[in-house]
Amino acid sequence: MAEEKDCLRGDVEMGEEPVVTITGGAYSGKQAAEKEPMKVEAAAGADACSEDLSCGDADIDPSLLELVDEEKCRSIRKQYRQLIYNVQQNRDDIVNTASESLTEALEEANVLFDAVSRTREAALDAQFLVLASDLGKEKAKQLNSDMSLFNQVAFCDFLLIFVGLNWMEDDGRDALSDCDDNIACSFWETVQKEATSWMLQAETFHFIFGSFKSETSARKPRLEHRKKVHRMEENGDMPTKLRKLDLSSNQEATEKEVERILGLLQTYFRKYPDTPVSYFEFVIDPNSFSRTVENIFYVSFIVRDGFARIRLDQDRLPILEPININHVGEGNDSSSHGRKQGVISLSLQDWKNIVATFEISEAMIRNSY
Amino acid sequence: MSLKPKSRGRAGAQAERGGGGEEAPSTSRGPGGAASQGGRRAEAPSAPGPRSQKQLELKVAELVQFLLIKDQRKIPIRRTDILRHVVGDYKDVLPDLLRRAAERLEYVFGYRLVELEPRSNTYILVNTLEPVEEDAEMRGDQGTPTTGLLMIVLGLIFMKGNSIKETEVWDFLRRLGVHPTKKHLIFGDPKKLITEDFVRQRYLEYRRIPHTDPVDYELQWGPRTNLETSKMKVLKFVAKVHNQDPKDWPAQYCEALAEEEARARPQTGVAAPTPAPSS
Repeated sequence: MAEEKDCLRGDVEMGEEPVVTITGGAYSGKQAAEKEPMKVEAAAGADACSEDLSCGDADIDPSLLELVDEEKCRSIRKQYRQLIYNVQQNRDDIVNTASESLTEALEEANVLFDAVSRTREAALDAQFLVLASDLGKEKAKQLNSDMSLFNQVAFCDFLLIFVGLNWMEDDGRDALSDCDDNIACSFWETVQKEATSWMLQAETFHFIFGSFKSETSARKPRLEHRKKVHRMEENGDMPTKLRKLDLSSNQEATEKEVERILGLLQTYFRKYPDTPVSYFEFVIDPNSFSRTVENIFYVSFIVRDGFARIRLDQDRLPILEPININHVGEGNDSSSHGRKQGVISLSLQDWKNIVATFEISEAMIRNSY
Repeated sequence: MSLKPKSRGRAGAQAERGGGGEEAPSTSRGPGGAASQGGRRAEAPSAPGPRSQKQLELKVAELVQFLLIKDQRKIPIRRTDILRHVVGDYKDVLPDLLRRAAERLEYVFGYRLVELEPRSNTYILVNTLEPVEEDAEMRGDQGTPTTGLLMIVLGLIFMKGNSIKETEVWDFLRRLGVHPTKKHLIFGDPKKLITEDFVRQRYLEYRRIPHTDPVDYELQWGPRTNLETSKMKVLKFVAKVHNQDPKDWPAQYCEALAEEEARARPQTGVAAPTPAPSS
C-alpha cells in the first residue's frame, strides 16, 4: 500500500513541475490513467468489494477500512473543496506574477494528497490541478504582457484626456456612465473621428434620395396631367355663361356712357351758348390714357348720331359744336354735305404732348364711378 | 436545375446537365463545370456562346451595384450570393466579371475587392485611399459611430498580446460607461455589438476559453481587421491617445514592425478575386 502511494506521489511531483506547459485536461487524463491500475489491483485483491471500487488496501479488510476512513475522507474532501474555492476566489491575486500564492496552494494540495486513498478524493485533487494549471498558464501569459508595460487603467484615463474631458478624472471610476448624454456623444464622436483615420474602411454606399422602383413613377405624371385637363374644362364652363351676361351689360353700359357724355356736352353748351369746345379739351383725361380713349369712343357715337359735330377751327384744331334743332332745318344741308369719316389715332406720346401743350389739368368728363 | 427567368431558352439544357453545375456554383472552372460546358455546347448549339460586349458590360455594372449595396452592412459577400442574385447564367465568365468589377470599383470608387481569406469565397470592399485629416468632419457620419469602439477594443487586444478575455474588455469599457447588460445611449446593446456584430463583420474573433468556470471567452483580431488596418496603425492610435511615441512599447513595436516587413514582401494569391494568382 505504501509503495503504491509513494509511486502515486511521485507521479504527482513529476506532473507539478511543468505545470505551465501541460494543459490541465491532458494532465488530469494522465492522472486518471495512473489511478486505473490501482483500482483494478484493489478490486482483484479484495473479495468483498463494494460497488465503488475505491479500496486502496489489498491486505486489510475493506469493510473495516470504509468505517474507519469515512470521517477522514470526508474531511479530506472538505479541505479539497475549500482549497478549490479559495483558489477560484483569489484568482486575480494568484495570477499576478508577483504573488507566490499559487505555489502555496500547490504545496497545500500536495500535503492533502498524502492522505488520499480513494478515487473520490483523488478526483477532487485532479480537479484542483486542472484549475492550478489554468492559472499557471495565465500567470505565464501575464509575464509576457508585463514586459510591454501596457496599463489598461491609464489607457482609459488617457482616452478621456484625449477627448478633452480632463475634469472627469477626479470623479473616479465610471466617469462616463453618470454624465450628460451630450458629453458621452461627443466623446464617442471624437474617438470615432480619430479611429476612422487609422482604418481603410470603405464608405457605405447609399442612394441620396433613397432607393426606389422606377416603374411606378412613370405612370403618375400621366394621371396628374389628365386630372388637370379635366379641371380646366370644368372651370371653362363657368366663364362662358358669365361672359354672355357681361356682354349684354357692357352694351348697356356703353349706351349709358354715351348718354351721360351727351348730357354733359349739352349742359356745357347751354352754359356757354355758341361756344364750341375744343375737342381735345373735352375728350382728354390728363390722368388716364385709357379713359381718354374711352371718351373718344363714346364721343364718336355722339357724332355719329348727329348730336354734335367736329369741325376744324381757324387754327386747324378740331372743335366740337352742338347741332341744335335750328340746325335741323339745315339738316338737309348736313345730309347734303354728307357724312365724312375720320380716324383719330392717339398714341401715348401724343396724349402726353397734348396734355402738355393744351395745359389740361383736369378731365372735363367726370367719371361716373 | 432551377429555372431562372433569365435563362433565355437554356433551361432545357440545364435540366439535361443533371444539375451538377447548379449545386456547386464555385466550380464553374472546375472539372464539373468544364464537362457541363462541353455537354451544353453539344446539346444546344443555339445556346448563346459568345456574349456581346454590351451584355457583359451590363452584367459588370449590375455586379458593381450589387457589391456596393451588399457592403452596406459590412458583412462579407459570399460568392454563392453573387452567383444567385446577379450572375446567374453568366457563371462561366464569373472570374472575368469579378475581375472587371474589381477594376471598375478601383478606378471609379477607389475600393479594392478583396477575398477575405484565401479560398474562403467571400469578399469585402476595402478603401484604397488613405484617410485625410481634413475629411474627418465628413467621414463616417452614417449610422452609429461604432468604429471608435472597435478601435479601442482592437487596441486593447493588440497591446495585451493579441488576445484578451471578454471580462477584461468589460472591465475596461465599464469605465467608459459601456456595460454589457445596460442599454447604451449610442450603441444600444454593446454586448451584441462586440460579440456578434463585429464578429459577423469579421473584425473580431470570439472564442470560448476551455476549462473556465464561469464560462469566459477570448477576443482576437479577425481577418477583416488585418485587411483594413495593421498592427502598426493600431499602435500609433494607442500612442496618439497616450501622447507618446509608439516605441515606448518595445515589445508591441517590434511585433508591429515585423508585420510591416512581412506585408512589404511580395505575396502570392492575395487580394485577387480570380483563381489564378498571377493575373
